[in-house]
Amino acid sequence: MNGPAPASVTGRLPAPVRFVLGLGILTGFAALGTALVTVLRLPFPGSVVGMGLLWAALSLGVVRLHWIEGAADGLLATLGLLFVPATVGVIEYLSAGAAWALWLLVMLAGLLLGAGVAGLLAARLVRE
Amino acid sequence: MTWVALTLLAFALGVLAQARARHPLANPTLVATVLLVAALLLSRTPYGRYAAEVRPISFLLGPAVVALAVPLYRLRALLAREWRALVVGGVTGTLVGVGVDTLLPRLLGLSAEVQRSLVTAPVTSPVALQLAGVTGAPPALAATLAVLSGLLGALFLPSVLTRLGVRHPLARGVAVGSVSHGIGTARAREEGEETGAASSIGMGLAALVVTLAVALLK
Repeated sequence: MNGPAPASVTGRLPAPVRFVLGLGILTGFAALGTALVTVLRLPFPGSVVGMGLLWAALSLGVVRLHWIEGAADGLLATLGLLFVPATVGVIEYLSAGAAWALWLLVMLAGLLLGAGVAGLLAARLVRE
Repeated sequence: MTWVALTLLAFALGVLAQARARHPLANPTLVATVLLVAALLLSRTPYGRYAAEVRPISFLLGPAVVALAVPLYRLRALLAREWRALVVGGVTGTLVGVGVDTLLPRLLGLSAEVQRSLVTAPVTSPVALQLAGVTGAPPALAATLAVLSGLLGALFLPSVLTRLGVRHPLARGVAVGSVSHGIGTARAREEGEETGAASSIGMGLAALVVTLAVALLK
């Protein structure tokens, strides 16, 4: 049902055109999620709701994987670029100075406890 | 337009640095951020002007977060077979991480801004950025802390998990992904395909779990 389908019309599209199609679909789901969140006044970011909707659409076969694969892989491969404009905003928190060390320690505690619990629990629950 | 070009080039430099150094600290986002902060300080450009100019880049975050559904869907067979380890392990790990990042700053009496920003540290930066609108955190601080949390995870978690005796690739992967998202997942991929896949699942689930947790805590 999914995967590359060279026989289909969309499967024969040149890669850049399929990228445009994919980006259009992904942006459409982001817009749909944002609209739902606004109308229903949900306390969620629209794009996360869009992610859930796309997952459902893929599972139901409404959206085919090969329509969006190229665009999704492209965006995810350069995901680190997309929030650089936000992380540069750290410039406004440079004055916090030594407090940063404390913030890093808090995060380290969260990481060690969270990953420790997840790892030990998952190791017990693995079936194979 | 100059700042858009500089942002793209700074990130490309970061990717080159990563390819050469092969170390978690040579992270493209971190390298680009350091270079651009230096450029803004040297040219005395206010952050507001920079942010307005590079908005075309930020726009793509929405579709990129939606695209996180693709790896989750591709790995559905693994997810169906090992859902107990991946879903129970991953969700619990993320919740413990969020719990520590919520409670510890309160106990330490950190400022409200910092408290709200730390809550979303275990989740991938674009989601942390979007969640800032819900938590009331300053978006820049929430996104930066999430990046740093991912870096810390990539640096320390593999050896900590080994010391805890967690050897199975799926368990190691989901543990790393559930709290240190994309940057941790890149590190997990170095251990093998199975570890990387489990980490992607952990990261995708964390986006959903933290979003729900933030909505409930509100």
